[in-house]
Amino acid sequence: MPAPREILAGRLKLQSRLAPYGLAIGGAIAVTAAIELITSLASVQGLSAIYLLLVLWLGARWGRGPAVAGSIASFLLYDYFFVPPVGTFTVSGTAQLVELVVLLAVALVTSQLAASLRRARASAEALARDSRALYELATAALRTPDVTVALAMLSRRANELPSVSRFALVAVDSGLPTLLAGDELSAGELKQAAWSHENGRPIGIAIRDGAVVLVHTHPADSAPAYLPLASGVAVIGIDGEQADPDELRMLAALIGLADLLFDRRRAAFESERAHGLESSDRLKTAILSSLSHELKSPIASLRTGLTALAAPRAGLQPEQRELLVDLDRQATRLDRMVGDLLALSRLEAGLQLEREAHSFADIVGNATRQLRVELASNRLEVELPDDLPPVDVDEVQAGRLLANLLENAHEWAPPGGVIEVGAAQRSGMLEAWIENEGPPIATADLDRVFDTLWTRRARGSGLGLAICKRVVEAHGGTIRAENRRRGPRFTFTLPLAAVPAPRSAAT
Amino acid sequence: MSGRVLVVDDEVEMQRALRTGLSYYDFDVRAVGSGEEAVREAAAWRPDVILLDLGLPGMDGLATLKALRPAERAAVIVVSVMPDEKDKVRALDAGADDYLVKPFGTEELVARIRAVLRRQADVTAGEPVIRAGDLEIDIGRRTVTVGGRVVRLTPTEYELLRYLALHAGKPVTHTTLLRQVWGDYAIGDKYNTRYVVAQIRKKLGDDPANPRYIVNEPGVGYRLEG
Repeated sequence: MPAPREILAGRLKLQSRLAPYGLAIGGAIAVTAAIELITSLASVQGLSAIYLLLVLWLGARWGRGPAVAGSIASFLLYDYFFVPPVGTFTVSGTAQLVELVVLLAVALVTSQLAASLRRARASAEALARDSRALYELATAALRTPDVTVALAMLSRRANELPSVSRFALVAVDSGLPTLLAGDELSAGELKQAAWSHENGRPIGIAIRDGAVVLVHTHPADSAPAYLPLASGVAVIGIDGEQADPDELRMLAALIGLADLLFDRRRAAFESERAHGLESSDRLKTAILSSLSHELKSPIASLRTGLTALAAPRAGLQPEQRELLVDLDRQATRLDRMVGDLLALSRLEAGLQLEREAHSFADIVGNATRQLRVELASNRLEVELPDDLPPVDVDEVQAGRLLANLLENAHEWAPPGGVIEVGAAQRSGMLEAWIENEGPPIATADLDRVFDTLWTRRARGSGLGLAICKRVVEAHGGTIRAENRRRGPRFTFTLPLAAVPAPRSAAT
Repeated sequence: MSGRVLVVDDEVEMQRALRTGLSYYDFDVRAVGSGEEAVREAAAWRPDVILLDLGLPGMDGLATLKALRPAERAAVIVVSVMPDEKDKVRALDAGADDYLVKPFGTEELVARIRAVLRRQADVTAGEPVIRAGDLEIDIGRRTVTVGGRVVRLTPTEYELLRYLALHAGKPVTHTTLLRQVWGDYAIGDKYNTRYVVAQIRKKLGDDPANPRYIVNEPGVGYRLEG
């Protein structure tokens, strides 16, 4: 049984619908009385036009029904009171008939005009209301730093539309659906949403001409529709076949806004991830740097102590001294490995290169000097053309590159074997090579020699050539290994420098 | 050659190893663990060489170097684990005579100490002819010869070589060379020193890929082999 309040509301609604008709009849009576009053005072012709005013007003204000009712009431009253024979409804002449038709026509035309005007105004108002609501929502949503909060605001607004029964926004991150905002969804619905996103296919819905269009595959189906967005899915349930077009437009606008917010969410996600990676790189380098320091300090004490005891004045037996020299060599190796590890991690973290124009011969000289003890057992042949243009490199890193390659060559070259260093200008770059007379590298390994921790020897650290590759690539060059007739050759390229003219020397 | 060596290092093991090692080469060694003590000990004991670790707790190595420099005539060899090239340049520009990267062997250290002591002795004696292998630079007569052959240098080339020769064995930074040879306005223009050094090497018949006289100190500057 309906509550008394509903009955009352129903009655009020009915009354408000009938009221204009009452107003029309009452108005016609009032006009009749006014005409009667005026004619009793003075003889005036054509007062029937006052009825027209009434009908115009009724049509403009209340629409066709009341206007037609008003015009019929006016005609009847006019006919009864003023058209001879007065006191009857008889229409005697064509003139009266014409008058009636005119009244009716005016009623119909004005009400028609007024109704379309009213409709246009109502729709303009609705549009203004919608865009204001959307604008407010968009501003609030875009100002909210937390995208999830903004999406929740948007879902609430969508759910407020009378024809929308359910509304939910689902994020799909690497294939996994997560409900971000709106109504609860079942596991099956979430799965459906993920499918829709992955395949980029909407289910049961489309957006056409800025409005949501329902595409019913099963008319009886109450399942929600799915619309894939930038990095998520909108899940929408719509009541009834005949949803209000304004609401469908509003819904499309809301979905567009949701798409933007999803985009923002993804951008925030990605920048956070990049930031995390970057700071983890920095952290790694900082840890390695401090670890290297901690490792090198004891190695320093070890080496100083071991070499002190190996001094002739320490008075040890030759075999004891030999043992100390061996131990010192091990400590030196350990030190090199720690240094390589640090160098590699710094290069991987994107070391800032201090590039300047340098003569390649200088860089070769630095490296050969650094390794002069080791290279004394080889025949080093450096053949550099005199007109070799300078290279644009970080002197320290390029020195490390050369030293590592020379050391590698020294380790593989037979005792007394030749190590050849050469360079040439080739297609705008400097191409340099270091070749030794050692055994060839297996063809399958030619690419792998530059991999981190890959080594041909049981005692190698697998870092030296990996560092070479990083240094060369940091300078925009390339490095490769190949087997020549004599032995393995490592070839790399470095950029040439744009050389300024030397300043004329002042003395 | 012997002398007094003050070791400034906060690691006790390092102090002990250096005391033992250097004593086998007839050096008189004292060791302290902080910059403050180093300044006090340097003033009281008057060492010939100070071996200064840059990574000291409290007053750091560079600050200690600056505190030592005005008062001391002792040569300072800066020692450091993993120094940046900029650290080396800063230490040299602040007046260090040489630097040595940890870890190092005792023999290498002894060679460096002897080199700075020799330079000190040369400076004191006012030696007019400086030799590096068969290269001779006669400061008084402004002549340069290689194996008896006279080498003609431009004034700029001679100035640069003379400055390196006066500090033979010591790494001289680009900044110092530019200031000494060209003047303050040229500082920062490292290409100048590189160009002039290349010219000098060519005239001396020195191979840059295997230099005998002027040696590169990567990221730092040049050194004339002592």
